[in-house]
Amino acid sequence: MFTAAIKSYSRAIELEDTRVFALIECGNIFLMLGSFRKGIEQFQQALKISLQNMSALYGLASGLLGMAKECRNSGAFRWAASLLEDARKVAEASIKSAGNSSCTWKLHGDILGYSSPGQLTYAQVFPWTEESQSLEYNAETFKKSIYSWKNTCGLAAISARNSYQRALHLAPWQANIYIDIAISSNLISSFNQDNTLDKCTWKLPEKLTLGALALEGENSEFWVALSCLSDCNALKQHSLIRGLQLDVSLAYAWAYLGKLYREENEKKLARQAFDCARGIDPSLALPWAGMSADAHTGDSTPDDAFESCLRAVEIFPVSVDITFYALPKLAEFQIGLAKLALLSGNLSSSQVFGAIQQAVQRAPHYHESHNLNGLVHEARMQFQAAIASYRLARYAINISLGTVLKSHLKDISTNLARSLSKAGNAIGAVQECEDLKKEGMLDAEGLQIYAFSLWQLGENDLALSVTRALAASVSTMDRISAAVSVSFICRLLYYISGPDLAIGRILKMPKELFHSSKISFIVSAINALDQNNRLESIISSSRYFLASQEEITGMHYLIALSKLIKHGTKHHLGFQNGVNHLRKALHMYPNSMLISEVWGNSQVSSRCSIVDDSDSKNKEGLKSAWEISSAGAVACHAIGNSEPRFSFPTCSCQCTSSGAMQELQKCLRREPWNHNARYLLILNLLQKAREERFPVNICIVLERLISVALSNEFYSGKEAICQYQKFQIYLCASEILLQRGNIMGCIDQAKNASVLSLPDSFQFFGHLLLCRAYAAEGNLKFSKEEYERCLELKTDFLVGWLCLKLMESQYEEQPASNIFELAFKEGSEGRNNSWNMWMAVYSLGMGLICLWNQDFLSAEEFLEQPCSLTSAESCIFLCHGVTSMEIARRYHDSQFLSSAIRSLSKAYITSSVPIPIVSALLAQAEGSTGSRKKWERNLRLEWFSWPPEMRPAELFFQMHLLARQIASESDSSSRVEGWQSPLQWVLRAIHTNPSDLRYWKVLPKLL
Amino acid sequence: MAKSMKLAGLKSVENAHDESVWTATWVPATNSRPPLLLTGSLDETVKLWRPDELELVRTNTGHCLGVVSVTAHPSGVIAASASLDSLVRVFDVDTNATIATLEAPPSEVWQMQFDPKGTTLAVAGGGSASIKLWDTATWRLVSTLSVPRPEGPKPSDKSSSKKFVLSVAWSPDGRRLACGSIDGTISIFDVPRAKFLHHLEGHYMPVRSLVFSPEPDGRKLYSASDDGHVHVYDAEGKAIIGAMSGHSSWVLSVDVSPDGEAIATGSSDKTVRLWDFKMRAAIQTMSNHTDQVWAVAFRPGGGGRLASVSDDKSISLYHCS
Repeated sequence: MFTAAIKSYSRAIELEDTRVFALIECGNIFLMLGSFRKGIEQFQQALKISLQNMSALYGLASGLLGMAKECRNSGAFRWAASLLEDARKVAEASIKSAGNSSCTWKLHGDILGYSSPGQLTYAQVFPWTEESQSLEYNAETFKKSIYSWKNTCGLAAISARNSYQRALHLAPWQANIYIDIAISSNLISSFNQDNTLDKCTWKLPEKLTLGALALEGENSEFWVALSCLSDCNALKQHSLIRGLQLDVSLAYAWAYLGKLYREENEKKLARQAFDCARGIDPSLALPWAGMSADAHTGDSTPDDAFESCLRAVEIFPVSVDITFYALPKLAEFQIGLAKLALLSGNLSSSQVFGAIQQAVQRAPHYHESHNLNGLVHEARMQFQAAIASYRLARYAINISLGTVLKSHLKDISTNLARSLSKAGNAIGAVQECEDLKKEGMLDAEGLQIYAFSLWQLGENDLALSVTRALAASVSTMDRISAAVSVSFICRLLYYISGPDLAIGRILKMPKELFHSSKISFIVSAINALDQNNRLESIISSSRYFLASQEEITGMHYLIALSKLIKHGTKHHLGFQNGVNHLRKALHMYPNSMLISEVWGNSQVSSRCSIVDDSDSKNKEGLKSAWEISSAGAVACHAIGNSEPRFSFPTCSCQCTSSGAMQELQKCLRREPWNHNARYLLILNLLQKAREERFPVNICIVLERLISVALSNEFYSGKEAICQYQKFQIYLCASEILLQRGNIMGCIDQAKNASVLSLPDSFQFFGHLLLCRAYAAEGNLKFSKEEYERCLELKTDFLVGWLCLKLMESQYEEQPASNIFELAFKEGSEGRNNSWNMWMAVYSLGMGLICLWNQDFLSAEEFLEQPCSLTSAESCIFLCHGVTSMEIARRYHDSQFLSSAIRSLSKAYITSSVPIPIVSALLAQAEGSTGSRKKWERNLRLEWFSWPPEMRPAELFFQMHLLARQIASESDSSSRVEGWQSPLQWVLRAIHTNPSDLRYWKVLPKLL
Repeated sequence: MAKSMKLAGLKSVENAHDESVWTATWVPATNSRPPLLLTGSLDETVKLWRPDELELVRTNTGHCLGVVSVTAHPSGVIAASASLDSLVRVFDVDTNATIATLEAPPSEVWQMQFDPKGTTLAVAGGGSASIKLWDTATWRLVSTLSVPRPEGPKPSDKSSSKKFVLSVAWSPDGRRLACGSIDGTISIFDVPRAKFLHHLEGHYMPVRSLVFSPEPDGRKLYSASDDGHVHVYDAEGKAIIGAMSGHSSWVLSVDVSPDGEAIATGSSDKTVRLWDFKMRAAIQTMSNHTDQVWAVAFRPGGGGRLASVSDDKSISLYHCS
């Protein structure tokens, strides 16, 4: 009906837009429907026509009030306040034109204070703002600020009450105005905190409510109001029950009844009442809050309580009734929520953040709100803000007249000290702690902060003495805080006096102190660094206290790490031990993400051959999955092997990294500032470019990525990781320039790279690249210089030596040094299972060098070695096979032919994907020995080992041979070569490569 | 009756109170002092002013809400003030010593008046639909004169608020009481017999002010109502004598001059008007107030002074001749 009315009115307005009646009626309907904004528009239109129209003014003011309430309900207090300011102006304009309208005065009162019954507005909405947004509050300005806030609120409340009184004076028979006055009086007294005005037995708010009831005794809401404004529990209960008798579906009456019963400790009745309330109206906040309080005291976990309370706070701004009359404790829900969050560890959630911000806005005079605000900030790692909040909390305590428990002050000061220390302000923290000490309020936590800050300041002796004081008090603590203290002591001892002294002290401590999982971790960690395992007994006893799955897996991780450290040498951690342990652990706990992640990681770093194992080492500080997988991808040189267009991977350890590039790009899109992702993307792209023989488009992309990466200020840092990454990026840039033929640019970049201050081991690669660049330029002299520089620098990375060896072969004279063999032997120590591989690769390199020099026989010798060493590397077999065949061809030695066949068939068997050429060669070799069947079979295999679009002309030609071979035979159609006639095969070969005369020669014979 | 009365502004005090001034009455002269003007305001204070300079004598505090009514004992020694929370404070005019506080349920104290002999205080009982009579010697409630309801009294009847009593007035001989309700009816009571006599009809909106003409046998009752009219009734005869119109908004207050010749009214239209009953017309309109005029009061005992108080926080004093 309303919408129909709106339509009709709109039509009326269209027809005749100089009459206000339709506009006002339309606006009123909009207000009724809750579309305040539309309503406001209508009234504003009406006011343009008739400047002083009472109804329009009234409607406009109520519309603004309604909108302000909406804002307030959604928690936007400041916006609400500004809307209310507008509404107030409109209402006052309306009053000016007619001062004897009771409803206008009531509206004015509503705007300033409340509206019918008890919807809070200006006086309650007006938020406390941190003036000028500066954090530099001192006690005096804070006091002033609070005072002026209180004043503003109080004045608003008083003028609201005055407006209500005017309204009542004009229309004394309106019962609800009594309630309004009662509520505003209650609010005023809450701001003034003086309850001394009761000369009579009844307090003013109670009395006025009674007045309203005298006029309208059947109004159930008045009864609820009475219960809220009364101080006497019996009266509260009576009036709530009376209210419920009049209207049993008053949800908030049930809720208040529940609250009342809770206060009286009638748990069961309270729950029943809350249940009733929730049943009637589940959007009420109070029952949820009540549930949360129940949960908190009862046996359920703080988490449940937190959930319920969160519910309450979320509903709260929407719920009108909650603030119905419980005004003095405006922010109690928010504060309660924050307290529960503290217990359940949800402090950093943004709901809590929002709630506590509101609490601070609305109860700035209450120290707890600032304190909790500080805690929340701290949990969100905003230490400066936390410090400011704690300071405010302390000022608030100083201002509040009532007697504040000393423990509150202590808590706040301790919090402040902790935040200062976390924010890096050790001096301030020490100052706070000393103040606390003077007051005699330094507890265990305070002592810890004190000791820690002293240690930060370098005052180790003082720190130790404080630690001693802490240790003395451990025996009096409860178990948890004792455990915390003990672990703190252990760590501090370690940091101050080093592992040996710390271990000695720890051994002296009574054993039962270590009965906690946390301590077990710390002691184990210290023990990991101790080669003598002196703490073994303590550890084994403390490990019994590891309870949860996570703790146990964490401990396994730690043990694995400690094995890495203990069994490792300087640069090579004892991966194998660690991996073994983790494998066992994984067997026991197959679900543990942590272990499998770490296991995968260390597997990658231990197995994979190439450079970056220092890179992988950094990763062991638990990084996200994409980082590990992409770093692994770089390390494994295995990008893009899903598509065998460019290369044919032979590595048996296939990293599951085909998606790494995509993952990295996704990550970079999510976090464009993430330099680490960009860095890994560059490395991965380079890998891809290398595989695809440096296509121009990828190179351009890489160049742009690199220029972006280098402009990141992160790389101006002096930390090792920054320098290392910068170095790698320079090397990438240089490599790309080299591949694109820009030798000058390449040399520049490589020089950039080599000036960075990095360990020799890395520097090596810079010079290696320079060496290559000069060689490419043809400048052998400089190249040689760089080569020698490399020899001086040495590296731990075998691949570096290998590259250098290859470079070496470029120079005429052969420096007869066995430096390479030495380096290899040294480098492969402690990597038992990879040593073979390295030797194989080395031999492969040597073999290749010999091949370049046309020295096939020694090449064969070199390649023979790895064939016997490894059993897995098909490319070595391939090389050996090819070399053997070449020798066989040159020297007509059938012995080499058979070894070629052996190697090639091994190459075929061991490779995970069919490698082209292998089968063709095999076919040729087999054919040479006269085995036609094998020749045919292998040739067919060769056909399938090529990706369709890459098949060369020669393959077609060979197929023609096959086809001709079987043309005479009967069942030819089932085979590959039978798909086409020999003629067609040759035509295809010619089509693919028309320049080969052999094909043309065959053609006439087939025609 | 040739040229009758004329008002001339004597003195005006701006911001006499911090908030709207809602009520005013004159405290009769005693041997030691001249008559004083007593005003009550929304700012919760009661102030005493000495004419003609309107010099502030004292500010009485103590009310928790706005002061809706003040009245003075005929002897001029004591006075009473009532606030919105229905607390009546009776105090010594000269010393401000509290003599009594009378409590009533909220909404049950509006206009008050001492009887001409000064033995009883009549209080318009608002929501109780009655007049409460307090004995001025013991300060106890001695009687309640209830306005009969149309369909018989029922305690839980919602219509009680329809008979909400706003105003009260004693006849000069102290035998009759009149009270005005928000439905526009005026009820007349026989006080000695504590009996309801009859209703006076005519108004259709709340009657906020009533006053009997001061002749010793006065039966003439003037009433001011939100309907904008001033009626003149024969209170005994249950008849309307006349009506005077002219205010453009509610008439909030009416008073009659000590000689009974002139009537003054204050209104929501921000004016004070002086009426000649014989001409049934306004003879003068004072527009010096900027907001609605809540009360007008002639000074008893001659001298020709009229005071008016207003929502604009000011008090004005006029000379009338």
